[in-house]
Amino acid sequence: MSEIRLVVIDASGLHARPAAKFVQTASRFDSRIVLRQDGREADAKSLIALLGLTIRPSSEITLAADGPDADAALAALQAELAPYVSQAG
Amino acid sequence: MGLILVSHSGTLVDGLRDMVAQVAGPDVPIETAGGTEDGRLGTSAPRISEAIRSVLDRVGSAVVLLDLGSAALSLELALEDLSAADRERVHISEAPLVEGAVLAAVQASVGASIEEVVAAAESAATMAKMPRA
Repeated sequence: MSEIRLVVIDASGLHARPAAKFVQTASRFDSRIVLRQDGREADAKSLIALLGLTIRPSSEITLAADGPDADAALAALQAELAPYVSQAG
Repeated sequence: MGLILVSHSGTLVDGLRDMVAQVAGPDVPIETAGGTEDGRLGTSAPRISEAIRSVLDRVGSAVVLLDLGSAALSLELALEDLSAADRERVHISEAPLVEGAVLAAVQASVGASIEEVVAAAESAATMAKMPRA
């Protein structure tokens, strides 16, 4: 499993529109992809699961992917999230 | 698959359609049936059946989301007006209108099956909005 850690910097957290775009991008990949926050995990291909994490500004999130296209998926999703996050230090 | 948004208020579903299209993108057909034929608050069976037919002309199946009260009665009348073959292609969602429409459209936009779309919409009823302690 590959993973990257990120911090949400957008003032609105991970809100509905970027979350929806994120789900659309994640759904293009075969890998199992999850987003974790505070010990809770959401399927990156499900908007309900993502919104249910209620990701707020300054939250540290981990994006993890497992499968044949895991690295490509993480790269695409990190690009998708770029305006909203920074690398976790 | 496409969505039909049914409400007592035309303004409400017009705004909701804009919001859903912005969140989910342009690929999911959405029709609205809000208000009565003379522009008052209420629901209209003919407007609902017209909206359903318009979606079914473009895609194989449709999910209807509605607000409350007599919207259900008007929807039942509208369904009676469809052919049996068309009725088979329509699923009525119990989901809350706003949240259900957004979730359904996003799942539909990624090519999910109608069962997955319906399940996504209905999960909106218990979706967390505020962070849980």
